[in-house]
Amino acid sequence: MPHWLPGVLGAVGLLVVWQVVGMTIFKENGAVPPPTAILQQMQVDGFTFYWNNLSQTLKEAGQGWLWGNALAIVLAIAFVQIPLLERGLLRLAVASYCLPIIALGPILTILFSGDTPKVILAALSVFFTTLIAMLVGLRSADRTSLEVVRSYGGTTWTQLRKVRLTASLPALFAGLRIAAPAALLGALIGEYMGAERGLGVAMINSQQSLQIERTWGIALVATAAAGIAYGLTALVGRLLTPWAPRLKRSRR
Amino acid sequence: MRAMADAPQQVDSAVPTGGGHPPGTGIYLHELTKVFPIGKDTVTALDRVNLDEADGAFVTLLGPSGCGKSTILRILADLEQPTSGSALVHGEAPALARKRHEVGIAFQDAALLPWRNVTANVKLPLEVSGVSVGQQAVADLLKLVGLESFAKARPAQLSGGMRQRVAIARALVVEPKILLLDEPFGALDEMTRQRLNLELQRIWTERATTTLLVTHSISEAAFLSDTVAVMSPRPGRITAMVDIDLPRPRTPAMLRSEEFHQICDNLSDLLFSGGDADLS
Repeated sequence: MPHWLPGVLGAVGLLVVWQVVGMTIFKENGAVPPPTAILQQMQVDGFTFYWNNLSQTLKEAGQGWLWGNALAIVLAIAFVQIPLLERGLLRLAVASYCLPIIALGPILTILFSGDTPKVILAALSVFFTTLIAMLVGLRSADRTSLEVVRSYGGTTWTQLRKVRLTASLPALFAGLRIAAPAALLGALIGEYMGAERGLGVAMINSQQSLQIERTWGIALVATAAAGIAYGLTALVGRLLTPWAPRLKRSRR
Repeated sequence: MRAMADAPQQVDSAVPTGGGHPPGTGIYLHELTKVFPIGKDTVTALDRVNLDEADGAFVTLLGPSGCGKSTILRILADLEQPTSGSALVHGEAPALARKRHEVGIAFQDAALLPWRNVTANVKLPLEVSGVSVGQQAVADLLKLVGLESFAKARPAQLSGGMRQRVAIARALVVEPKILLLDEPFGALDEMTRQRLNLELQRIWTERATTTLLVTHSISEAAFLSDTVAVMSPRPGRITAMVDIDLPRPRTPAMLRSEEFHQICDNLSDLLFSGGDADLS
């Protein structure tokens, strides 16, 4: 049995159950339309409708992803190189994580205009997880390797360049994988607060106009986008760290 | 049961060897003391250790775990600071020797970077120190440790013994004035260990670099060293200095000689009489 078969069987099984449930239990109120009905609606709405909204959301999420991750990576490096900084600033970073971004949305909408609030929300959604992942990664560098570098006259910056940065990649990419869907979610929440275009505002519109199939269609597109972003990050991570040990699937 | 007083060649905290060389030319330790804080307590890892060895000597610190032998090596590598007393490498402070790239070091863990191949790992000290030795020197070094056909291999593809050879080559690449070896073969099986000891002996004979080896293997110490400093734990002290008079180059046949066994027996007596009761 090929290793991907159980996954495919599971997905097909879920679709079948969904179809049956949609055509029976939810037939009357239509809250859960069957997949075939959703696909039909998506065909009616057309590619352009989804792409216009998706591209807007992706733009915000992408910018937020870049800013949030860049800031997190730079800060993690600064924390490791200057431990005093960590004691002062890590608590602030934790606070940024505890803050429910849904509560921050309205404030940002008052403060900024255009895409900026959505970008900030997307950035905030990825910032903390990437910060912690990068910190763990930088600290996971082999102690003896660091001592070898030091013994040959290296400084903490040499240790960073020669050992820590590369050693951090597996952990960093574990964080970045989570960051990709999280950035999308942050942008969607930003759009809930009001936007011209985007999946978030399209979803609210179709929900309020009782377009149940379209609401589901948009949700599916958002899910697919998040899934693809997750997969792509995982792939890039794997290509960049061929030396990293991988968890092998146990086989019976 | 302590039997320190019975140990032959017993030394106290005076400078242990004369040797007939000017002091401080090789490895020089004076009243070296290291105290580690453990919670609210302190542990004396080294208690007024003295050592004075000539330039080019192969010195081994032999003792059970916890006797502070690695701490001495780490102080000489400028990885730890002494609490009191002083340590000199060829008359220089360890920090200076480190910054001048005069130190070569290898640990029990080869600590190769998994993303670099063998050649790139050996070159790491060159990149760190800015010293350049040319492509041929690295190739020669790989040949010296018998890894010329593995130049492009990744550490994950090598056996434990091969990884240690890479670590030894890496330690030698900057042509260090002093070589610090912290149980470099400690994690290897006995057969590989003996073979690598032979090779280390051959490499050392070619280069004659001042070397400090830390080990808990009696035969390893006897086979490789000019001088063995026997240490005892809690607090870490040098309890005896033993000169090994076997001729060089040393051969596998010597391992079976009566003389070699006598040296080993002597070292083992010194170890077991100088240390704690839990050794016997």
